[in-house]
Amino acid sequence: MQKTTFSGVATTFIVSYAFWILLTWSFAAQELIAGAVVSLGVSLFSSRFFIHDHTFWLLNPIRLLKGLYYSLVTFIIELVKANIDMAKRCFGGCKNVNPGIVKIPVELDSDYAQNILANSITLTPGTMTMEITEEEGQIYYYIHWIDVQAPGGKVAGDMIKGNLEKGIRRIWK
Amino acid sequence: MTMTLRIIIDVFIAIGAIFALAGTIGIIKMPDTFCRMQASTCITTMGVLGVCIGALLYSIFELHSPATAVKVVVIAALIFTTNPVGAHALAKGAYQNGIRPEKRMVVDELRRDFDE
Repeated sequence: MQKTTFSGVATTFIVSYAFWILLTWSFAAQELIAGAVVSLGVSLFSSRFFIHDHTFWLLNPIRLLKGLYYSLVTFIIELVKANIDMAKRCFGGCKNVNPGIVKIPVELDSDYAQNILANSITLTPGTMTMEITEEEGQIYYYIHWIDVQAPGGKVAGDMIKGNLEKGIRRIWK
Repeated sequence: MTMTLRIIIDVFIAIGAIFALAGTIGIIKMPDTFCRMQASTCITTMGVLGVCIGALLYSIFELHSPATAVKVVVIAALIFTTNPVGAHALAKGAYQNGIRPEKRMVVDELRRDFDE
């Protein structure tokens, strides 16, 4: 666990205050002040759980736009493709499955980037992250794959990750 | 104008409902625990996405209420960010508690590296 730093508190405060405004959607002075007090309290207590490194990294407009592009275009395209494939399997009587757990290498350094990639893989139907390990400086994911087409390694990794890893590496160079 | 808009909204909601149906069939008929969890992601992704896009268009163009629209977007974002965490924890917990598929897996590299 990290220590509570000023920049960590500031970032958590901005995020939680934005959420408060989104949820209440009223701009009366009373609501805004109450939200500021509550967000400050929350960020003082919880910033050390959320912020680990590079505090203001994502609050850069270009990176935010890249992140938005990733989550609205790159990720949604992969999601729709995987969903259509999965729906075909389900309507076809669920006989056409070939499950297994494969181990794939991942070339991302930042904790946040690895987290986003693991969550994206879990969200696409047909692949699910089971475990993350590190061996000699190389990160490996264990992926439950509903239709195994290749044994673990780089080939399977490229098939599972598709464009996701490239899109994330564009944000976290 | 309103008729076209109504049809577009209905198409989005129908797409969401169809994918939710596919996921439900998968949950009932898939052979083992992990495959069932895989089928359930169909509901939480395309099901939620279709219904939320329909609700978003409806709240903007029919209700004229930005507060409802923002809440729909927040609901979709929260489901998309919290669901994989829960799915990951469930799968890992099930595997570590010794739940194995009845039908053999093609490859199981997690067992090869950590078990026995």
